[in-house]
Amino acid sequence: MTAASKAQQRIDDYLNELQRRLRGLGKEQTREIIAELRSHILERAGEGELSVDRVSTVLKSLGPPEELAHEYTQDEILARAEISRTPLRLLNSLFGWATMSVAGFLVLLVTVIGYFLGVVFVVVAASKPFHPATAGLWSLRDRPGDLELSLRMGFGSVPANGHELLGWWIVPLGLVIGCGLGILTTKFALWCVRMYQRTRLRPRT
Amino acid sequence: MSDLVELDRGDKWEVQLRKGCLELAILAALWDGRRYGLEILRIVESDSKLIISEGTIYPLLTRLKALGLVESEWVESDSGHPRKYYSLTAAGRQRALEMAGIWERFSSSIARMLGPLKEVRP
Repeated sequence: MTAASKAQQRIDDYLNELQRRLRGLGKEQTREIIAELRSHILERAGEGELSVDRVSTVLKSLGPPEELAHEYTQDEILARAEISRTPLRLLNSLFGWATMSVAGFLVLLVTVIGYFLGVVFVVVAASKPFHPATAGLWSLRDRPGDLELSLRMGFGSVPANGHELLGWWIVPLGLVIGCGLGILTTKFALWCVRMYQRTRLRPRT
Repeated sequence: MSDLVELDRGDKWEVQLRKGCLELAILAALWDGRRYGLEILRIVESDSKLIISEGTIYPLLTRLKALGLVESEWVESDSGHPRKYYSLTAAGRQRALEMAGIWERFSSSIARMLGPLKEVRP
């Protein structure tokens, strides 16, 4: 192996490692990032034949690939989350955050649960006119002292040992609670993103 | 880990300050026309001590692009490898002016406040 190909190998290793850690970003964007950094490294390493020494110095001043990848993905994913205007987009960017940190995973979990509950309330409210006898909030009592609340869309028969709690009130209440949960969940997720950005230290020496 | 060490030394503030100014410095470096990453890096490096790690500038450029403040294009060069050139968008120019205004007001009011310290400092 010549000195030049050794140096080339060094560059490839660095960029491969970076690429591996850029998961969560789009393919096209990853390709651009790698191409830009390759261009930087080659130019910084100087004219003529590459030397291992020079390449090493350049890579060192770029910083470790994992830190660089962290800067790219955190900025990108959190920035995308912040400008998301729809729950689906927000979830999509939170998912990217979740693959990288525990905090992101927890926020994703709470957000998914929040949206899910919100959707259930709205769906139940919307089913009431179609299944007036069976849709709604039911309390089910299988054994005495045992209480179970159940939101039912109204498919199937009237549950045994159950009675409906809200009647037609489920329509306005379900809509308000469902939409409220959706809004609160979105606010919560965005608040978490902002807090995380604020507390995240990004110093380098 | 290094974050904590810096926190102890009390120069975390300085690092944050530099980071915060880097964005403005990049926008300013692009004021006269398009430049590629390494060029911007050299300008910022020679004019100030803002660069903490060379790698920092590239994610930041990507972010400025995502925010619509700069746009980029690939251009072939004599050196054999294409370069990614950045230039300010209209929004980027606007933002640079805003930031420069904020900076000037801020730094002059801080300078006034620091008046009394001058007498003690060597």
